[in-house]
Amino acid sequence: MSRDALRQIVAGAATLALCIALLHRYYVRRGPYFEKPRTIVEHVDIIDHEARDVILLAREVAPLIPPGAQVTCFEPVDGKHQYDGINYLSAVGLLPNHQVLPPFAAGEDLSAAEVVEYVIAVREPFDHPAYSVVAGFPTGYLYKARR
Amino acid sequence: MNELLWVAASLLLVAFGLPLARSFDLPGRIAVAFAGGTVIAGTLMFAMSVLGLKWSRASLLIPAAGMLLWALLRWARPRWGAAIPGGAADRDRRQEWRRSTWLLLIFALAVYGAAGARMTCGDLLYFWGPKAIHFFEARAIDVEFLRFPHYYLMHPDYPPLQPLALVWSSVMTGRFSWWGAVLLAPLYLMAAVLAFRSLAAPRLGAEKATAYAALLAALLTFGFTAGRAAGGADPMLLMFEVIALSALTFGAGREATIIASVALAGAAFTKVEGSAFVVAIVIALLFVNRRAVAAALPAVILIGSWILFARHHGLLDSYARAEKPLLFDRLGHVLYMGGWQASYRVMYLPWIAALGPLAFGRSFRRAALPLIVAALSLGYTVFFYLHEPEPLWWIRASAERVLLTTLSCLVVASAAASE
Repeated sequence: MSRDALRQIVAGAATLALCIALLHRYYVRRGPYFEKPRTIVEHVDIIDHEARDVILLAREVAPLIPPGAQVTCFEPVDGKHQYDGINYLSAVGLLPNHQVLPPFAAGEDLSAAEVVEYVIAVREPFDHPAYSVVAGFPTGYLYKARR
Repeated sequence: MNELLWVAASLLLVAFGLPLARSFDLPGRIAVAFAGGTVIAGTLMFAMSVLGLKWSRASLLIPAAGMLLWALLRWARPRWGAAIPGGAADRDRRQEWRRSTWLLLIFALAVYGAAGARMTCGDLLYFWGPKAIHFFEARAIDVEFLRFPHYYLMHPDYPPLQPLALVWSSVMTGRFSWWGAVLLAPLYLMAAVLAFRSLAAPRLGAEKATAYAALLAALLTFGFTAGRAAGGADPMLLMFEVIALSALTFGAGREATIIASVALAGAAFTKVEGSAFVVAIVIALLFVNRRAVAAALPAVILIGSWILFARHHGLLDSYARAEKPLLFDRLGHVLYMGGWQASYRVMYLPWIAALGPLAFGRSFRRAALPLIVAALSLGYTVFFYLHEPEPLWWIRASAERVLLTTLSCLVVASAAASE
């Protein structure tokens, strides 16, 4: 067998092996395999992506918030705000018609007059005396400041 | 359907790059034109922002139409009246289609992976997407948005070509598309692979070039999936890197140098790592082919202009980190974690696949350039990680993507060594 033919066989075998590894990776990232995914991160891992819920929640809450309103977004911990880059930064892109501020704009140390007008609480409820809940969804809640 | 229209709008970028590749087959010509057009259109959009001009369909399409007309005049002139090839060409074409079946299957797998949300990059949500949407809303590079201190984690001075490419389709269709952004990854992959094949074919022959193109396509599709790259800047960066390296490795003459120049400019304008890649190419060329070093000049000018723009607007961040110390005490951690991530959890299969054919190589002189660049790209990857006090999370999040540069260089080297 010529060296050239051997090289071609090795390159072909390597291509085939990579394709099999690829198909296996697709398979382990869960089905359904032939339906349009609900989000752009639906099958990127064997568990749900950390930003999946904020994508679904943003779709639900966006029509409920007036354009141009100030809003923040995070997953509360023990009902309090936390710096949550994943949900907050995602919201900046998912809510382009609103002004997205960092989570501390809904801090417990701020009065009702100082807090950001809307809070999108991902997955967990938010517990702040200045806010009342506007709507709840399977992936989180929308709050509005009492003013 | 809207998403497909959005992706199709990005193909209009081909018009800008058509004058670049005249001597290739049609797929290679379109691939190079798409990559080159992305760079030229991105540069135009950046220049318009510097001059305070807003982007619109008319302001972007009129220059594109001008470039298209120029390309048509250049191409059409010598071919008018030329004889149409007969049956032999048809037989060649049939053989070519048979050889390309693998390639088409792998492209289909890449499209399936992207459309099925199996390779999406989280950074699309965290900064590439938000930047593109706000640039699109402002119809310009939105300096106020980049300067907002609480969006600091979106890397204000990061090169803008990836968001600009997303804005292009948004301006053309009137809306931003998250799915469209994800679906651009297979397009970049196809452009890289088809350009590689067209550049390598004159040296290797069509059959061998197609075989290595299939290997490259499989490697990148697997890598995009393992590293979750779609929608991020890495697919675009890899397209430019593969084209530049292939042009410098296999190409000769003015056309190859121009293609390499444009692709290197694109790499530098896409990611910070792209600038490091340009430096690696220059160092490698100093050993291999000093005359070609000038190919890096457009990259230096373009990224230099961006850094000046960022500095003028108070956006400097990543490019001002040179003073940050190298943390050599983290070297063990970086190598251990990087080595683990490099396995891609398939027992280093991508490395074995890329290096396997090289073991039977013959022309190592031809492979010198991609081999040196591969070694240097590993070096600068470690160098970047050594600047981070807690590098483990960063390596976990990015190594499978950034190591694709080294792996692509090794595939190009394997192909070159088989000449």
